Amino acid sequence: MAKEEKKQRDPDITFFHPDLLEVPEDCSSPFLKGYRCKSCGQLDFPNLNPCPNCWGEEFEIVPLSRRGKLYSYADIFIGQPGLQTPYIIGYVDLPENLRIFAMLDGEVGSFQCGEEVELTVGEIRKNRDGLPILSYKFKKVNG
Amino acid sequence: MKLPREVYIAGVGETVFGKRKEDFEILGRQAAFEAIKTSKIDRPDVIQSAYCGNATNGMVTGQTILKDIGLVGKASMVNVESACSAGAMAVHMAIKDVAYGITECSLGLGAENHTLHRETGTAFTPAMNDIETVHGAVMTGKYSMRATRYMYETGATIEDLAMITVKNRGHATNNPYAWFKGKVSVEEVVNSRMIAYPMTLHQCCGIADGAGAVVVCSKDMIKKLGVDKPVRVAGSVVTSGPYHNRPRDITGDDITEATSDLLYEQSGIGPEDVDIVELHDAFTIAELLYYECMRFCKRGEGLQFLRDGQSTHGGKCVFSARGGMLSYGHPIGASGAAQIAANVKQLRGECPGYQVEGAKVAMSHVTGGGLSGTEHAACTMHMLVRGW
Repeated sequence: MAKEEKKQRDPDITFFHPDLLEVPEDCSSPFLKGYRCKSCGQLDFPNLNPCPNCWGEEFEIVPLSRRGKLYSYADIFIGQPGLQTPYIIGYVDLPENLRIFAMLDGEVGSFQCGEEVELTVGEIRKNRDGLPILSYKFKKVNG
Repeated sequence: MKLPREVYIAGVGETVFGKRKEDFEILGRQAAFEAIKTSKIDRPDVIQSAYCGNATNGMVTGQTILKDIGLVGKASMVNVESACSAGAMAVHMAIKDVAYGITECSLGLGAENHTLHRETGTAFTPAMNDIETVHGAVMTGKYSMRATRYMYETGATIEDLAMITVKNRGHATNNPYAWFKGKVSVEEVVNSRMIAYPMTLHQCCGIADGAGAVVVCSKDMIKKLGVDKPVRVAGSVVTSGPYHNRPRDITGDDITEATSDLLYEQSGIGPEDVDIVELHDAFTIAELLYYECMRFCKRGEGLQFLRDGQSTHGGKCVFSARGGMLSYGHPIGASGAAQIAANVKQLRGECPGYQVEGAKVAMSHVTGGGLSGTEHAACTMHMLVRGW
């Protein structure tokens, strides 16, 4: 028990949440994990368990498209406590009819509503030990 | 659903809003006692239940506020938290008690000192266990995304958005309770510090402190108290925001649309009969979108409604007659109760220098909570009518 507690306090340089993002060890491209309900077929991100549509509790993991359309975005100059500014946030609409809220990698003033963006992995914030927490982000295609 | 029996507002109180040195309990007590005194209540055992809205000041806020004026030990007390909607929700709970005959007289209040207890130079942040917050969400950014999409779809400009601040601060010019008020130009608003593009500093409500309070009664009780300018509660609605992780139109606002429709149905009053609206103008874009969401004009016509002067004195309805959150600032749990207090004063003709002449019907609206997958976690709306 004591050992477990200590482990939890170790520096966290891994992903924000392994249920959300898969970074394959074979160096193939990372992807977001969609969850398809085995009883009604509804696809959700993030995983909602039980399924809010039918209360089903079994899911098939579906790799989500790595590209989507930037629905809207905001260049943030005054941000959360502890986050370096400026940073950019946006809503990305995937072809699977899912909307993802994410940070965007790139320059402020460079994004446009409706442009295509693609998944990347990067730092979203630091943990309390000052070490980076990595998670999914989006960036310009070819950017 | 109609209220099962008539509910009236006996008295209201509000503090001066702004960056205050007094903590929430002092501000709350000041507003509550003013509401009690203007209700002509002269002893501490008349109020049978009390609800206190607050978001960030900790535990048992209601009892902390009310213990020094003799209400504890007599009234039941429940503390209400739903972020920005908390104050209005506390008033809703008080109304419900009277409407269902549980009490004859109840108090709803909202109080918050937000500035004493936070890091300056940072943006207000929703709960850290939220998936969007972990990825950098701040309220300014969420509204900026709505603004950016609205500008992209309609061709509106930052200058258009800035007109909301100019209008609301103009309304507040002579309001002693408002913080930022008086003449400001579109250029000054547009050229103020950039917070989250396109929201500049003066398009964002100030992070502020303050309190508002409302005493509600049955018809019998209001006659017994001898209140001579009764204001009737025609409707009081609380909703929770629908969850959807799918593409949706954020230039609309599903929860505001649904709550408005419920309020119109409950009160039997439509937008054409409303003289004053206090809405959640935490950011300029919000007021612009809500003209449409509340059915004061058709979808896509909000900007024209503003430009035509329909949302100010002389137009169809005066929006943010007290100056709105863009003038008062927005002490999270206090604002909803303070909006109601200001509307009651308007209906009683007690707003010298910012009075909407002849106002008979006033509506208020406050959303709450930056929760991922919802436009807002909560929405509370009230419809008030002058007289019996």
